Amino acid sequence: MAAPTRKSVEFFYDVLSPYTWLAFEVMCRYQQKWNIDLKLRPFFLSGIMQGADNRPPGMVPAKATYMGKDLRRLTDMYKVPFKMPSNPAEVMFIKGSINAGRFLTAVDMNCDQYLEELTRQLFLRIYYRDEDITEPASLMSAAAKAGIPEDLAKQLLSTIKDQAVKDRLRQTTQTALDHGAFGSPTIVAHIDGKPQMFFGSDRLELMAHMLGEKWHGPLTELAKAKM
Amino acid sequence: MAATRSRKVVELFYDVISPYSWVAFEVLCRYQMRWNIDLQLRPFFIGGVFKETGNKPPGLVAAKYAYVQHDLKRLADFYKIPVKMPPMERLMKRENVNSNRLLTAVNLDCPEHLENLSRELWMRVMSRDQDISQPASLETAATAAGIPSDTTPQLLSRINDDDVKAALKATTNQALSYGAFGAPTILAHVTETPVMLWGSDRFPLLAHILGEQWEGPLTEMAKY
Repeated sequence: MAAPTRKSVEFFYDVLSPYTWLAFEVMCRYQQKWNIDLKLRPFFLSGIMQGADNRPPGMVPAKATYMGKDLRRLTDMYKVPFKMPSNPAEVMFIKGSINAGRFLTAVDMNCDQYLEELTRQLFLRIYYRDEDITEPASLMSAAAKAGIPEDLAKQLLSTIKDQAVKDRLRQTTQTALDHGAFGSPTIVAHIDGKPQMFFGSDRLELMAHMLGEKWHGPLTELAKAKM
Repeated sequence: MAATRSRKVVELFYDVISPYSWVAFEVLCRYQMRWNIDLQLRPFFIGGVFKETGNKPPGLVAAKYAYVQHDLKRLADFYKIPVKMPPMERLMKRENVNSNRLLTAVNLDCPEHLENLSRELWMRVMSRDQDISQPASLETAATAAGIPSDTTPQLLSRINDDDVKAALKATTNQALSYGAFGAPTILAHVTETPVMLWGSDRFPLLAHILGEQWEGPLTEMAKY
């Protein structure tokens, strides 16, 4: 008896985006409940904003104030240990995520079994402990917490400036843009041979409906990100 | 004899030029029959909110506009609301201030018609791509909403009255004072400080805050 085919759901993301962490954790929970094949696709948010000529929502002061509260309420409801960093503008607009994006890409290319946990550890650094994700030591520390053996982590880190890694990150970003992306996360669910693109962390109930799956709310009992 | 739990006030600030406001409006109209809430409809002027906050309509980013059109089509199906985003160039030219004033006048003079009139105006602008500014358009919407034809001319003349203009401005300013930057803006009065929520995609959170149950779109209660 054949099992029904698993539907592919691609999750395009950048660890610089707080709402992305929320969507990431929820999708990691639901991949255990739904008949889906969740593919994590690290991309580069700056490239998306440039390519789509969009600007970050936090540029409007009233929106930034709201987002801080909204994130606190949502992450509380979804049990994601989120804390706004002390200087979000520095984190997002000055330090950025290019090295983290490349490191995640290298892991995706070479040993993708670590991708989920490394992603989580990078989110925990920025959006829980207010720690750096740009320095090699920061990336090594996240890798260790994600269970990547030190030798392997060092070797992967040495490839982040390789053309193959840069090209792959660029390609993933372009693929998301081709799907109509203008921010993070961009989720592409392949349903009946047609890609359905969803933006943000607040279309998951709608996506469940379209996937023919059941939405059970936050599923906090499956929470993985620990404080 | 147990005392009834006091109803929690939920205010919905909306503008009929905003398609996501329509989604929130229909969902809250359904849930007011399920939840122990007192839903208060507060028509405001989104142009004033954008001006004050420096925010811009999402449709100005081309990729976002394309997405919003697609997103609304899927949401329309999911929630059973006949919302359909008109082409950008027509939407940008639509005048909404007369509609906002008429809704404000109705809210002041005969609030029992506010829900239906809002719905009819959305049907015009966000489903059939029709005008919502000319007196004839407003009259047609009023008739469809069940407003008696002998009171319509009087209501229509109210849109130029100072108290109506002032009330619309006051509602807009009130939303701004709660931190509004777009539409819809939802205020849940649970504790002394009301919780402000933006958009039509925070209903599970709203339910959680109100201590109520989110049961999805409740399409069996759809008015269409």
